[in-house]
Amino acid sequence: MSALTGYKVLELAESVSGEYCGKLLADFGAELIKLEKPGCGSPTRQLGPRAPGTDDLEGSGLFAYLNTNKSSITLDVTNPSGASTLATLLQHVDAVIDDHPAGWLKGVGLDPDTLKQVHPQVVLCSITAFGQAPPQDRLHAQDLTVFHSSGWGYHTGSTADENQPPLKGAGRFLPSYEAGLEAALCVVASLYEREDSRLGRFIDISQQEVLASRADYVLAQMVAGDMAVGPQRSAYDLHGPAGIFPCRDGYAYIWMSAPAHWAALGKLLDNPQWMASFPANWLERECTPQRVAECRRHIAEWLKTQDKHAVAAAAQNLGLTLVAINNARDLLDSPQYRYREFFAQVEHPVQGVALYPTVPYKLSETPARILRPAPLLGQHTERGLATLVGEQAVGSRADTGGAS
Amino acid sequence: MTARNRGGPLQGVRVVELTKVWAGPCVGKLLAYLGAEVIRVESEDSLDVTRTYGVADINNAPGFQSVNPQKLSVQINMKTREGVGLLLDLLGKSDILVENLRPGAVKRLGLGYDKVKAIKPDIVYVSMGMYGSEGPLSYQTGYAPCFAALGGLSSLVGYEGGAPVGMNIRYADSTFGASAVYGALVALLHRRRTGTGQFVDVSAVECMSSMIGDSLMDFALNGAIAACDGNRHAEMAPHGAYACRNGEWVSIAVASDDQWRALVDAMGQPGLVDHPSFCSLAARRTHGSELDSLVAAWTATRDAQELACDLQQRGIAASRSQSSLDLVSDPHLWSRGFYQEVTDSAGQAKTTTGPSWKMSRAAKVSSGAPRLGEHNAYVLGDILGLSAAEQRALTAAGITR
Repeated sequence: MSALTGYKVLELAESVSGEYCGKLLADFGAELIKLEKPGCGSPTRQLGPRAPGTDDLEGSGLFAYLNTNKSSITLDVTNPSGASTLATLLQHVDAVIDDHPAGWLKGVGLDPDTLKQVHPQVVLCSITAFGQAPPQDRLHAQDLTVFHSSGWGYHTGSTADENQPPLKGAGRFLPSYEAGLEAALCVVASLYEREDSRLGRFIDISQQEVLASRADYVLAQMVAGDMAVGPQRSAYDLHGPAGIFPCRDGYAYIWMSAPAHWAALGKLLDNPQWMASFPANWLERECTPQRVAECRRHIAEWLKTQDKHAVAAAAQNLGLTLVAINNARDLLDSPQYRYREFFAQVEHPVQGVALYPTVPYKLSETPARILRPAPLLGQHTERGLATLVGEQAVGSRADTGGAS
Repeated sequence: MTARNRGGPLQGVRVVELTKVWAGPCVGKLLAYLGAEVIRVESEDSLDVTRTYGVADINNAPGFQSVNPQKLSVQINMKTREGVGLLLDLLGKSDILVENLRPGAVKRLGLGYDKVKAIKPDIVYVSMGMYGSEGPLSYQTGYAPCFAALGGLSSLVGYEGGAPVGMNIRYADSTFGASAVYGALVALLHRRRTGTGQFVDVSAVECMSSMIGDSLMDFALNGAIAACDGNRHAEMAPHGAYACRNGEWVSIAVASDDQWRALVDAMGQPGLVDHPSFCSLAARRTHGSELDSLVAAWTATRDAQELACDLQQRGIAASRSQSSLDLVSDPHLWSRGFYQEVTDSAGQAKTTTGPSWKMSRAAKVSSGAPRLGEHNAYVLGDILGLSAAEQRALTAAGITR
């Protein structure tokens, strides 16, 4: 038995944040029932990366990643008969995950008040860009625009060139993954309390707020008046020689903020002449722009003759915080990732075998596991509905898009 | 109101923290915001650097206060055998332990999982390390930008054809913290249903990799290694941040041909709609630089906020790029209650960032961060049942202060 075995979760979500939330629950054993539109299924089925040589609906690597361990049932909840099947389903599930724009839930009869009246035992989590009541100038959102509304956009990267645009951050969906993670932790906390109270809960996740909260250490100080705010793109930055430098085979990041780091660098470089002119505690007490520039120039000269993994290991052994800039291949090759089995082999009936990223927490008794690949569209429609709610309650074949 | 009756889904759960700096304290903060009673065990000989760095008063340190509201503090000297004994007694009456000390430090203190488990078999023991607690690279340490570098994020952030610029230096710790909270709560729920505790081993670097799962899938399926590509997006164009008047920026993401038509309409350049360089997503992506120049030329003289409003009315995702000044004055964040006032034991009120979530029957957020050892009497007396005389003796012996 895994930690969430036995919980039934209905997934109305059909974009990255809600599907990621569902995946986090499913990989711990929750039974995730994904409702998909007959015919086209979740829109994430249309998004890349695509497995080579695959057809439209079953070839998305994104969908495959986000929907491991789930069942797919085709049902159009926006027509009356589908809505009635949905109402029946709600009597049999513990939690519901949605990520449609604000207002959509009300359209299918699932606003918080109705939920409390009709399905008081259900934990309902809604993930939206700006919460349940977005202002008129925030009705339309994508990950990029949420990233910019949260403050991260303006401040990415650090020590920015003011003439260049701020950058989008890593990958396409970081704001969605962040919100999905926050949603999952709120759902599990709610299920914990529900074991005693038998009461559901409405959870309102705003992607903007989740992202803003990820800068809590600085933002809390700013809103308290303890740290300066302003139009500077460097407002979140720390100043010093830290940064990314080219190596012979890629890039490395070096962090230096304390006298101990400086001493370790001296040991690693065998106390070169140029270091002698710096006070031992300059990083902490006398970190002038001139010293930072000179230090960076010497570090750049040195690192371009080094290999990133080897120099990182040598530095770490002396207490200098230096790491490689890894890419996807480095992660697959990482002895640490292999040791922790971060990548798991998954066989998908259409896409074949691939190494999927798993989760960053190892639970000794109930590890997360990928037992089943993402479902084909409607793969579990007939058996799934019948098992869940009994034969009689299943809507007509037209509502479910027929047998799949 | 005390730490044990704030409501919320975790009311009644007791958490002990052996944490420092940002990511570890963030775990306790989120658990406290969910209603748990969170006790920081602090040692004057080995203080959290955020209590001391650049501040005169360890009890009035803004960095510390930003990630430790709503918690209790007990001061125990963990370098003494008796101190460790007291901590183990406390763990015997707790549900979750969170630690993010340097690799191996808890074992050296005699507080490894096996030791704690012997006292409290069903403890949920959360260990946070850059690379996790075991494995060939687990000896390595680093700060937030190292997590992003190692996890694969930094290599994706930079201008087209350029060297990696990386994420903002502040990104990573709270994501690491939230991931640890999720692992802890899954384990807590398992314990609630089976009586079995467990060891939760969280890797900061893997937390980062989890934020680019689809990029890793691209490598797994196609062997593709993404290079820095500025603000480009495989499924949207235009997609980027464009300079506006007064040094402001607006972000615009166009996800369909309909939205492209609406944008061209707003730009007053209808000839662009069917222009062969821009008539489809594929064409717009091929001519991305030209497209960005056209949009940027249009935004350059406009007000970012007005422009975002105009585009929103036309159904296009757009947002002013918010600076720190914009964020702390964002009316929407204020109206949702993201910023909340907490009060410390001296009656000092302070505005801080509350939980990101809204939920029915939420825990109340009301207390500021604790002074060092502020709750010694509660922890030693009320929880551990030591008499006033016994507490005085511990203080006299230098075990508590």
